Amino acid sequence: MSTEKENPNIRLLKEELAAGRINRRQFLRNAILVGMAAPAAYAFVGEPLDGGFARRAAAAMPNQLPRGGALRLGTRVKSLSDPATYSWGGYDSNVTRQVCEYLTLTDRDNITHPYLLEKWEASPDLKTWTLSIRNNVKWHNGEDFTADDVLWNLKRLTDPAVGSSFIGLVEDFLLKKVPNGTDKAGKPQTKLVWWDANAIEKIDSHTIRLNGKTPQVAIPEYLFHYPALMLYPGDKGVFGVGSQGTGAFTMTEYQIGKIASVKSIKNYWGATVQSAWGGGPYLDEIQFIDLGDDMATGISAMASHQVAGLVVTDPSQAPALQGMPFLQLYKVGSAQCAVLRFHVDLKPWSDPRVRMAMRLGLDNASFIEAATRGLGTLGQDCHVAPVLPDYGKVPDIDRNIAKAKQLLSEAGLPKGFDTELAVPADIGWIVAQCQAAVEQWKAIGARVKLNIMPGAEYWNVWTKVPFGCTIWYHRPLGVMLLNLAYRTGVPWNESGYSNPEFDQLLNQAGGILDPNKRAVVMGKLERILQSNGPMAQPVFAEAFTFMDKKVMGFSMHPTNYVFGNRLALATV
Amino acid sequence: MVAFLIRRSSALVLTLVAASFLVFAVTQFSPTNVARETLGAYALPEQVNLLYSKLQLGDPLVVRYVRWAEVLLGVRKDPLDNPALGLHVEEPHGGRFFGNFGYSTLFRVPVNEIIWDRLGNTAILAGIAFAIIVPLSMLLGILAGMQPDSFVDRTLSVASITMTSMPEYAIGVILAALFAVWLKVLPGTSPLATGTGWPLPSQYVLPVAVLVLYDSGYVARMVRASMIDVLGRPFVRTAILKGLPRRRVILRHALRNAMIAPFTVILLQVNWLIGGVVVTETVFAYPGFGRMLLQASLFGDISLIEAATLIALVIAIGTQLLSDVGYWLLDPQVRG
Repeated sequence: MSTEKENPNIRLLKEELAAGRINRRQFLRNAILVGMAAPAAYAFVGEPLDGGFARRAAAAMPNQLPRGGALRLGTRVKSLSDPATYSWGGYDSNVTRQVCEYLTLTDRDNITHPYLLEKWEASPDLKTWTLSIRNNVKWHNGEDFTADDVLWNLKRLTDPAVGSSFIGLVEDFLLKKVPNGTDKAGKPQTKLVWWDANAIEKIDSHTIRLNGKTPQVAIPEYLFHYPALMLYPGDKGVFGVGSQGTGAFTMTEYQIGKIASVKSIKNYWGATVQSAWGGGPYLDEIQFIDLGDDMATGISAMASHQVAGLVVTDPSQAPALQGMPFLQLYKVGSAQCAVLRFHVDLKPWSDPRVRMAMRLGLDNASFIEAATRGLGTLGQDCHVAPVLPDYGKVPDIDRNIAKAKQLLSEAGLPKGFDTELAVPADIGWIVAQCQAAVEQWKAIGARVKLNIMPGAEYWNVWTKVPFGCTIWYHRPLGVMLLNLAYRTGVPWNESGYSNPEFDQLLNQAGGILDPNKRAVVMGKLERILQSNGPMAQPVFAEAFTFMDKKVMGFSMHPTNYVFGNRLALATV
Repeated sequence: MVAFLIRRSSALVLTLVAASFLVFAVTQFSPTNVARETLGAYALPEQVNLLYSKLQLGDPLVVRYVRWAEVLLGVRKDPLDNPALGLHVEEPHGGRFFGNFGYSTLFRVPVNEIIWDRLGNTAILAGIAFAIIVPLSMLLGILAGMQPDSFVDRTLSVASITMTSMPEYAIGVILAALFAVWLKVLPGTSPLATGTGWPLPSQYVLPVAVLVLYDSGYVARMVRASMIDVLGRPFVRTAILKGLPRRRVILRHALRNAMIAPFTVILLQVNWLIGGVVVTETVFAYPGFGRMLLQASLFGDISLIEAATLIALVIAIGTQLLSDVGYWLLDPQVRG
């Protein structure tokens, strides 16, 4: 390894670190990203290999974790059968991730590690990524995990007929639009295909190469996107009881809306791997129990020890759970937020002045208490959280009622206007945020009627309603969120926002390795959203949960991911 | 009597047909799109349209209704049970039989596999609750009605009205906070899971308590009113004047007459106990019939909604029939 020619990007980073222009964490993240071997990178900065995981974990538990036991977690049990189209993040992927694994893993500090991959290498122009697959990974049936399996999975994930949200992440990198006839009305149709026949190519049995058409720095993060599970090709993309996987567990029971159980396997290939994610499994079984939509049910279940922890909690549950002495609070800063988004193709939201007025009408700081009950951080209406490594510093947007009213007058609405805000009922803090926002908007003349609807109904119309409040879960990079939500024409662009200048800057940001230089471009993108963007976003929710004190090895991940192989139950 | 039963049964069948068609029509106009629900919020429009056409959701209302009826009667196989569609529908009994309610798109199993299980759970809950509500409310109602405006009557009436006016959700949360969170003697949720450290019987206590508290008050008031009415009748006054002990008058003469009106009311509670306990089931995460129907309605799972509606209708009309027959048996004046 020491005889490799040093990648110029890595040399650049070393210089930046020496000059003090980036800190150790930024160096670690970006050096590993472009292929510096993790031990070397950590050794270079003098940090322990797993980023302090072991240090934190050792502080919380003895050297040898106890084996055995069944852990019950309260959650929702959604449809699991099509992992490529998972859309619930912490609910569906958390069950399947115990059975199937990912090529990479992004930890709670937003540092990405190789997982099923051994390492990756990026070309200096960041267009070509060579992925080296680990040698000793096995499926549960004993077969080897090889590049053929990876190729099969990546083909599916980039296939529009399968419809995975992975497409939105890599569209610019791996795909292109080609004409596909016309529809009934005569309008020309397009479809997405690989931009080159070799966009994803197999080099040998344990190497895959991604040949992209644009530079892209976040490929390792993309490979950890929650639908990007590595499935066994023989299962044909369907996940169920007894499905093959490479993980430490196998699913033994599954009833949608009721329960999903996974049992540990005997010969987990990752049992002896020293890393941020390896080891275990210690538990015999993990049961995911569906507690329904109601917030009170989670509290009752924890109080009577029917579950030892909750996968996702809402701030409204925090006071009651904090009062139970046998529970431990775990929390971490995250980029989770609920955007109050306007559909820019519909009146009055097509006028950017109206959108700006709505942002000016809110006192963002007040939402930390009002919506997240203190378990939140300030948002700046740009969807990029200050905790993210590529956040570019922008000023806060303070409440300015006079300016907001003036903008509304200029837009032809001097007497204000009436509108309706649709919000799903299933997440309590979002409803609280909307209620507070509606009250504050009265001062600028926007008379907003709140339409609280059942979660299932909202998700049917979330991309079509003129004005809606949608939850966005944490992503480790700001550029990922902007790509998913605001790039022209991507599947999850709920507001219909289409800004060519924004798209161009986004392409630019995605190819810049240096965190300082990228933050400059990100700052520009954030400022565009602050002045012209299709939403108001006042607050970020911290990710938190409560676990029984007898649960060991747990640490809070910003996206509520549960890594079952590292968990154990204290026997006393 | 027989003619009466035949008339009633044919009315039942007609009602079922009409109601099932109405349910189909209503879901047609609802905003939920089953294909969108199945694939989730983030699926591409092309994929949603593909599934939409596979599920044949675009066909005219009457065509879809007739198809559903034919599957139910066993005339044809469920069109979804076709491997070429790639929907992974597995109908273990071969697909063509009377009572084939079709395939649930919400739970991804044949309807028959989920609906009877859930109905059974609610029936257990309802059965236990019913077994407590009837004697309890009769006792309270009789005690209250025997001495109108006495201290006993006033106390029982206030308690009954208070319980009935509190919504089930409030009663449920209060009981859970009291017994599960504070005293820790009962489980806070009732998912009917055996591994949670709480024995199965303990998981029934709180949901049953909510139902009993909520409903007994109402039935007790009905029994009380009927009791007061009967005790005011001339024949009771005659019996007392004849010198019969008060207890014998009540137990042998007044009671049977006082039970006629509440009998109907009590049977109507069965209806409510089967379909209307969705609130209690939600509060305690109980895997019951009402909660299933709620989830199916929000999702737009037409097979499940239809099946649940038909079953609920049969129960409703069945209990009405029972109450008519019982009324006929109890009150000789009706027979004449």
